[in-house]
Formats: sequence, C-alpha cells, structure tokens
Amino acid sequence: MEWDDEDSPPDLVEAGVEIDAEAEAEEKRPRVPITIVTGYLGSGKTTLLNYILTAQHGKKIAVIMNEFGDSLDIEKSLTINRNGESVEEWMDVGNGCICCSVKDTGVNAIESLMEKKGKFDYILLETTGLADPGNLAPLFWMDDGLGSTIYLDSIVTLVDARNILRSLDDPAGKVEGHEDSDGHGHDDHGPVMTTAHVQISHADVIVINKSDLVNDDELDVVRSRIESINGLAKIHVTTQSVIPQLDGFLLDLHAYDQVEELDQTGKGHSHLDKTISTISISVPSLTTEHIKAVDAWLRSVLWENTLSGHSEDGGPKYEIHRLKGRLLLEDGSEKMVQGVREIFEIFENPIESSSPGVQGSGKLVLIGRHLADFDFQKSLHDAIGRGL
Amino acid sequence: MTDAPPTKRKCLGADCDNDAGSLQCPKCLILGVKDSFFCSQECFKRNWNTHKTLHKQETSIFDRIFPPKAVSKPDPETGYYNPFPNFHFTGPLRPVYPLSPRREVPKTIPRPDYAEDGMPKLGRSMVRSNKVELLDAKAQAGMRKVCKLAREVLDIAAAAVRPGVTTDEIDEIVHKACIERNSYPSPLNYNHFPKSVCTSVNEVICHGIPDNRILLDGDIVNLDVTLYHEGYHGDLNETYYVGDKAKADPDTVRVTETARECLELAIKEVKPGTLFREFGNIIEKHAKAKNCSVIRTYVGHGINSIFHCPPNIPHYAKNKAVGECKPGMTFTIEPMIALGKYRDVTWPDNWTSTTVDGKKTAQFEHTLLVTETGVEILTARQANSPGGPVAVPTTEATTNGTN
Repeated sequence: MEWDDEDSPPDLVEAGVEIDAEAEAEEKRPRVPITIVTGYLGSGKTTLLNYILTAQHGKKIAVIMNEFGDSLDIEKSLTINRNGESVEEWMDVGNGCICCSVKDTGVNAIESLMEKKGKFDYILLETTGLADPGNLAPLFWMDDGLGSTIYLDSIVTLVDARNILRSLDDPAGKVEGHEDSDGHGHDDHGPVMTTAHVQISHADVIVINKSDLVNDDELDVVRSRIESINGLAKIHVTTQSVIPQLDGFLLDLHAYDQVEELDQTGKGHSHLDKTISTISISVPSLTTEHIKAVDAWLRSVLWENTLSGHSEDGGPKYEIHRLKGRLLLEDGSEKMVQGVREIFEIFENPIESSSPGVQGSGKLVLIGRHLADFDFQKSLHDAIGRGL
Repeated sequence: MTDAPPTKRKCLGADCDNDAGSLQCPKCLILGVKDSFFCSQECFKRNWNTHKTLHKQETSIFDRIFPPKAVSKPDPETGYYNPFPNFHFTGPLRPVYPLSPRREVPKTIPRPDYAEDGMPKLGRSMVRSNKVELLDAKAQAGMRKVCKLAREVLDIAAAAVRPGVTTDEIDEIVHKACIERNSYPSPLNYNHFPKSVCTSVNEVICHGIPDNRILLDGDIVNLDVTLYHEGYHGDLNETYYVGDKAKADPDTVRVTETARECLELAIKEVKPGTLFREFGNIIEKHAKAKNCSVIRTYVGHGINSIFHCPPNIPHYAKNKAVGECKPGMTFTIEPMIALGKYRDVTWPDNWTSTTVDGKKTAQFEHTLLVTETGVEILTARQANSPGGPVAVPTTEATTNGTN
C-alpha cells in the first residue's frame, strides 16, 4: 500500500472505528500497466528501454529483465529506474505451492516488490531474444477478480529491418511447442514457424528498427511482410529505437482491455507470409442469443481446436495466436472480444460507443497459422444461424 | 481481540507526557499499525511531520517502538516460541514452534517423485497448459480407491478434533493412518511442506502447518488430507467446529456453512459440458448472498497421478478459465470463504495463508470424477463421518469473545 502523504495531517479517529481500508485502497489504487518487450538479440531492445527510461515522461518505470514465466526460477533480477537513476534489485519469490495458486510466481514477485518499494508507474518486461510472447501474455492477462496491482497493457516487438526477412525464413529459428500445427510427419516440407513469427503475431506494436540500414524498397517489403502476418498491430518505423511520442504509441495502449476500431485491419497482403496470416470475418448484427452462439463457437475454435462444419482432413491444424473483435448488437450496443491463444473474453465496450445505433456489421480478426486453409467466416455464420 | 486498557496508552507526541485518549492516527489504522494513539488533534498536528515518516518505514520500525506481545524467545517452561516475532500477524493466531521432527514414511510405501527432494517433477511442464487428462477405467478405479482411503483418514483425524488437542497431534494421527493404509501423505515434502496434513485454524485460509498450538473451544479448524496410493492422489478437506462455543457463534457457523453450501452447489453442476469458468459464478453468488467473500488466490485443481495439474478451477466469478467438464476428468473444487475481506497474507513460513483482516475463513473440498451423466464424488462423506452441517444459532447469547 502506498500513501500520498499530504502536507496536513488527517483527522484523528476514535478507537474502535474500523476503516474499510480495502474499499478505500481499491478506489485509489490505479493498477500499474506492464508492457512486454520482445525481439531478437540485436533488434534494439536495450536501446529502446534506455530510450524510454531517459525520455521525459515523469514516470517511475521498473524494467524487469531475464526470462520469465517459462521457468520456475525463484529469483529474478530487476532494475528500477527513476529520472535516469537505476537500482538493481533481486526479487524474492517464496517457494509456496505454485500449482494451486492461480497467480504466476513472477506476478507475485512484482506485486510484493511494489508493496515493499512503493508503486511504480509503469513496468517494462524485457524478455530474452528467444521468448515466445504467447506463453507470457496469459500470465499477465489476469482476471479482474484476482485484484492484482498490475495489468497487461500490450506486447511490443522490435524487429531489425535488415535481418528480419532472413529470420522469418530461417529453419534454424523454428519455435518450440507448436507441434500440433506443424503437421504430422511432414515437418520438413511446410514453411517453418520461427520465433520471429510468434513475436510478430502476438504483438500489439511492432517497431521496425534500424530502418536506415535498408533502402526504401527493401523497407516496403519488410513492412508488407509484417503487415501480412499481423494486420492488427500498430507499426512504427524508426532508427536507433527512437519513438518521438511514447504515450498511446508504445505505452498505455490498453491492448487487452479495449478494442480499437477494426476498419482498417486485415486488409491486403494476405499471403505474403506463408506461415502466419491475419484474417478478418464480418459478423452481422446480433441478438443476445447470438452472442451465446459466438461464445460457443470461440470455445470450440480456441479450446478444442475444432472448427465446426470443417471435417478433419489429416492436414495440419490451425493455431490462433491473437484475436480481437467488435460485435454489434441489434439494440445498438457493442461487445468487445479479446483473445490470446486459448484464452478469450467477450465484454461490454468500456467506452461509450461513438456512434450509437449505427447499422452495420461487426468484425472478428484472427491472427494465426494455417488460417487460410479453413473457412472461418462460413463456420461462424453457420454457428450464428443455428443459434437463432 | 481486545485493546489494552486506555490507562496504559501514552500519547505518541514526542514532546508530550499526556496519556492518550481513544484518538488514533487513521493512516496507521489502515496500515495495520496498532496503538498509534495521540492525546489530541493539536498534538497530532505538531508531530505530523515526524509521525508521517513512519507510514513509509519498514514495518520493523514499529516493532522497535511497540514491542510485540508475542513471545519471541522460548518459554522457559515449555520451550515453545513464535518464530516470527516481528511479523505483523493479521489476527490473533500465532505459530507455536518448535515443529516436531519430520515424520518418516516406511521405505516399503511407494512415494511420489517429490518425496526425497521436495520438488515435484511430473506435470511441471503442464502447469500452464490447458490440456486435461481423461482417465480410463483402470485409472478411475485407482482414483476411487485412494479417495476412499483419504476419506477414512480425514474421518479418523476429525474424530480427534476437540479443545486441547494440538495440530501436531492431528498430524501424527493423519501420518499414522496413511501408513496403515500403505499410503504416502501427499503434503509431506511437497514443495518442502514439512508435515503430512494442512491444519488451518480460524483466520488461516489454507496451508496451515501443524505445530504445538492447542485447539481452543470456539475455534474452527480445516483439515486438508491428501493420500498417494498405488500411483494416484486423493484430496479432500473439511472445516470442523472445535467445542460447543464454535457452534454457538453465529458468524463462525455462517462462514463455515456457507463454504460447505458453496461446494455443494458447485458440485451439483458438475457434468459433461459444464464450463470450468461457471463454478466461480455459482460459488461467489452464494457467498455474497450470505454476506461472505470468496478467496481468490487459491483454486481447485486437476488431480490424478499428479497432485496438482490442469485444469485450474477459480472460485470467484467472471473468470476466464479455459475448458469444460468431460467424462473421465478428475479435479477438485475447494472454495475458501471468508467473513471479511478476500485478500490474503502469507506468513514468513511461506505456507500459512491468512485473511488480511484476521477474520475467520472456512473451506471444504472434494475430489470429483466427471461421469457420462454427471459426477461421482470420490471423497464423499460416509454415514458415520464426523462433522457435518450445523444450523446457524439464532440468538447472540454466549457468543462474546469469539471474534
């Protein structure tokens, strides 16, 4: 808990008075955003973090380094930086029962550190070059009910303009843990899914760095390839990790608790990358019953890896990394959809609709592997039709 | 808990010799700092600049100013002591050390992979996966057997619950009953847990370590028993009233019976197709209706040849848990329900989890098998099982002092 000690003392209270500290703290307690920063070695992560730390933002930022979450390491190093002064800390993680607590030990460690050291305004989690952000995002995208003091803001991925195409085509960069979608027995034939792919496909922001090292044509090719993989992410082209404005571009994006307008997403470039693509499904305006059908369809697609209406043909399975949606209801209200890997949520639009009552269609955007081999739109429309 | 009599309080003001009245600093109160009394607002104001720095200090500063009432050195007569004299306990309960020596399990009894070094290896890579194992008939029979044995052991332990018994004595009973059944007590050395059963008294939510504390008339105690037998784990717990005083206190009975009912209501919905995320909605709705809260940090879990494996079953509403019940799955539901706030604080022993406000909390747990048509409660109560529901007393008589 942290208190903004004002200059004047509060009024004393009578003994026996109980103060509802929880309710009071809950009100005052702004949750601290965490941004996960991924990218290959040499993509400029450290330069970007140093740039953010030294930029004028008046924020107390904690940078957490090292591999995280995948391992059950009990100590993690961490650097807290405020106004250019950095302090190294070790986080203690108790060796309590890991399995029956929902919170990741790393999340607990950050929370208890904030309790001891006072709150940070922002947390940046720097992963190793080989991290699969799809394994990290679910740890930090926690239920509100857990009352955590931190929340996942977004995933930022840096790519090196000069090397990224080579990385995407390099079989040696094959990412582990996605065997189901590799296909059975013909691993060597299909296009490989590299760590670069999963770092791009899960990103909410992609920074194409070192753009001065390629010419304009080459830069266009890089940008088109990245957009074809991830049609949802914001893209910044830069040199030396310089992002002129951070707020709203790199920080404080709310990429997991809001859904921006999806009009411009998922257009063009459809098959430039043979491994990962972004597809866009238009959704007619829905009734409340239809929402239940959409929920059931998502459960089947994401949890069971089963696309209703599509029979198994022995080919490789699809794999969904990220999804976002805006669903329009017939009464003019809107629902948002967020998902990463198997986890998803349908929730009320937290922001008042800018154009209430507008007739039109909703949209669901999926990013993943082998998506073009399946007819997701027909499957969803059939499911909605049955849900009438 | 009762505060010290007013005459003992001195005003905290540096230049003040006055006795303090009943006025105290509201921030200290919120921070959980006891006895922060001043004689007047004037004096408080004069001392504000120095006093307010205390709000930012490590808690140990306060311990130097206000010596803890807890025993920090072994009592010369008994040898008992509180191992964490500087810790800010949230309620009246204190650990009573030393712990008894580690109890041995005969070498002939098959043990889980963590028994020697404390580190579970099986299922480690699955901790974050959402793939739930479906048990075949043979495995289901194994689960049925170990769960029946676990129920027997819990009932034997529960029969020993009475005012005057120590939680360590209950641990000994559980340990021996496990061995008699050719079973390993699963908690023993699981992630280095030092004992064979979890005993969680009053404000302890779960994972209480059996020690030399005596159960008192008016306490409630949860006994969480897990056995490992012929390759499978069976896990259950119940909360028991200690003495008649506990049964006569309306709040104590309300929290205990609400926890019992929450589990029953959730189990009613276990059948193929029920979403794991739904159980939390059922549990929280009932808890709220009884003016209780749901502990969030600890969840139900898959259980089979591995002590804790997927799925996770949150007990709070509006969760994003992945997956649904399918025939052949075995998992626990184990709601922890509190009289006050849902937040938890863990003791420096790294295990004992207590409510943040020190108010009582109760829990019930079963290991469940999803069948083709519904559910089989593998750890179900028997006709002669001790414990069981108690009606909430309607009068406030004789309830003073329990909370």
